[in-house]
Amino acid sequence: MDLLNVENIGYSIGPVHVIENITFTAMKDEFVSIIGPSGCGKSTLLRIIAGLIKPLHGKVLYNGMLVEKPNRDISFVFQDFALLPWLTNIENVKLGLSLFDISEEEKERKAKLLFKKMGLEGFEKAYPNMLSGGMKQRVGLARAIISDPKVLLMDEPFSSLDELTAEALRSDVINMLRSPDIPVSLVIMVTHNVEEAVELSNKVVILSERPSHVKEIKRIELKYPRNKRSKGFMREVDHIYKVLTE
Amino acid sequence: MFNYILQLLVDTSFSWARMFIALALSILLGLGIGIWAATSRRAEKVIIPIVDILQTLPILAFFPFVIYIIVAAIPGYIGINAAVIFLIITSMLWNIIFGVYESIKELPHEFIELAAIYGMGLKEKLSKIYIPASMPKVMGQSTLSWAIGLFYLVTSEIFSTSSKTYMVKHGIGVALTQLALSGNFSEYIVGILIFIVFVILTRLLFFAPLERYFNKHNMSNIQKTRAIHFVHLMKPSLKLKIPKINIPNFALGKKRDTYSLSNEVGIKPKRRGYANLIYAMLAILFVAAIVSNKTLFSYELSILVALLASFARVWFAFAIILLISVPLSVYLIFFSKRLSAYVLLFQIIASIPATIMLPLIVSLFVKMPFHSEAVAFSVYLLSGIWYIIFSMLSQKAYIPQSIYEVKKLFGIKGLHAWKKIYIYAIIPGLITGAVTGIAAEWNASIVAEYFTSSGIGNGAVLTSVSIGIGKLLDLSLDNGNMVLMLLALLNFTIMIIVINRLVWKRLFNRIEDIYK
Repeated sequence: MDLLNVENIGYSIGPVHVIENITFTAMKDEFVSIIGPSGCGKSTLLRIIAGLIKPLHGKVLYNGMLVEKPNRDISFVFQDFALLPWLTNIENVKLGLSLFDISEEEKERKAKLLFKKMGLEGFEKAYPNMLSGGMKQRVGLARAIISDPKVLLMDEPFSSLDELTAEALRSDVINMLRSPDIPVSLVIMVTHNVEEAVELSNKVVILSERPSHVKEIKRIELKYPRNKRSKGFMREVDHIYKVLTE
Repeated sequence: MFNYILQLLVDTSFSWARMFIALALSILLGLGIGIWAATSRRAEKVIIPIVDILQTLPILAFFPFVIYIIVAAIPGYIGINAAVIFLIITSMLWNIIFGVYESIKELPHEFIELAAIYGMGLKEKLSKIYIPASMPKVMGQSTLSWAIGLFYLVTSEIFSTSSKTYMVKHGIGVALTQLALSGNFSEYIVGILIFIVFVILTRLLFFAPLERYFNKHNMSNIQKTRAIHFVHLMKPSLKLKIPKINIPNFALGKKRDTYSLSNEVGIKPKRRGYANLIYAMLAILFVAAIVSNKTLFSYELSILVALLASFARVWFAFAIILLISVPLSVYLIFFSKRLSAYVLLFQIIASIPATIMLPLIVSLFVKMPFHSEAVAFSVYLLSGIWYIIFSMLSQKAYIPQSIYEVKKLFGIKGLHAWKKIYIYAIIPGLITGAVTGIAAEWNASIVAEYFTSSGIGNGAVLTSVSIGIGKLLDLSLDNGNMVLMLLALLNFTIMIIVINRLVWKRLFNRIEDIYK
């Protein structure tokens, strides 16, 4: 059964038609990338899925239920990390549990565990601005998954990082999401980086220019971890480039 | 009927003429001094710290002194007008200097190299690079200067009515005071309405077109935040004299895009050693001089008592201002969808000087117990509150959209949101606003105490606070006691500087690292 249905979504900002009509579905254990030219409303689409923005028309269903506002099961990772600069890293991560009625000690315990798991040990009491971009995004990820969400939405999570850092974080993210104690069962990531999409996802939703619609939904069957130099990998990359530019 | 309206229009026009003269001079001076400070390292080291201190000093305290000196030098109508215009300039100039200075410091280095490659002379550099680059900020700062200047204009006109020697003949401040004192309340209200119409027309017909013109090529307009519309709107008056408690070595190198702490207050490199020694020696000399002379000692005691009384009023009003302005700002930043409309409304209200309402306030309270304190309190509150509100609201521009999304996404609400988000989001604005707001309160205190004590017009004392620094300054002017006046000003200046350094700058330093 589909875990998430995106049906006939449309959106405009004032007179500008941003999203024409977007429909796709996502199932359990999928990693879906949404890719498209800049200005095509990818990030807006992700926010609509998160329930942060209301679409002009169309609907988002999670487990068959309408998503109209943010939902405990759906979490979000921001491009610019969106860490509150005035809270320590651990306080930022604990924000992810604001909606949950659990004790402060329990929140602290969960957060500490997560810091350990994500290679952030020792940075609990530091402030976000003392960290490098890669570490900041780890904190952002920790905040997103501390509430054990089923769906993780990521808005260009690696694009604020330099290429080497992004590379390392990507493989960590893959490993983490595959580990059995993380209950995330669906990831939807917005990106403009074709290689990144092919490296991480098993489904790529390719969008057109504004006003955007779905050009193609491409399945990628390559085995993880994927070798970027393999013929199969290159073929997928070339194909997506072709669809994007035609 | 039409006669008095015509008279009021003439009076307001005279006031506006003073304002335009002061503004023109301030812009010329601001360009000159700002460009000089930005292009010469040596000049920078001297000018910037001095301007920094001057802009946080409540200069109205010096008014009696200035008027005394200038009128003594140039007697008659010209002298008193020169004094008023001089005073308005002291309220308009500092932020324009900083606007020019920052514009040039922020210029891409390539522009300077370009000038060198093409061998531009000073005249060409000024006309092709420095002045055009500065004008957008100069215009932005000018609208702000105008609002502050109106306060000084009206206040100094009111001041002048207390004595025949120092009387400005035509002016809306004078006219309103006399109307209020003679009990012509309907005419007084008409006068205030005319004043407001002038304020709005100036904004629409003078500042708006000029700002549009000079912003055509403004590079800093190329920003991508969603807050842009807002920032643009706020720019003119919201960056109310943002206090540079310390100066811009900081403002230069650092990026401004994320959380620059209301971005203007910075940290000075530590070159304290000698300075501390000099301060300590000056302090010892000061104390020695006072203790060794009986008259000085008794003056000092009465000054300290007066300062303490005014201090208590100012800070009590500040506490009340916080109680009002913090929830209001949080509401407007985080919940209201009509922030820009409110800002526009506030800007208009804020540019009506609290002092112009003084006669009205006095007549409201005059029958109540403690009415003199109530009058003083109201004027302090009205004078200080806008600085603090605007400064907090201007923080909105530095709050990225994603923080609102985090709040929504993780369902951060109520007390939890106050503790984790709201308070922290407005604190930088609160601190910068507090410095300027309290300075404005001090300005008001000088006026309020002066007004209430000197029985403006016919010598009728309406209401009078029994003790305070404004009253003391006024008494010393009346008695021609220059020693007492200078000593009071010295004490006052030291107090302001000490509080800025010990309280506000420390607070700022503490949060600066976290926010940047």
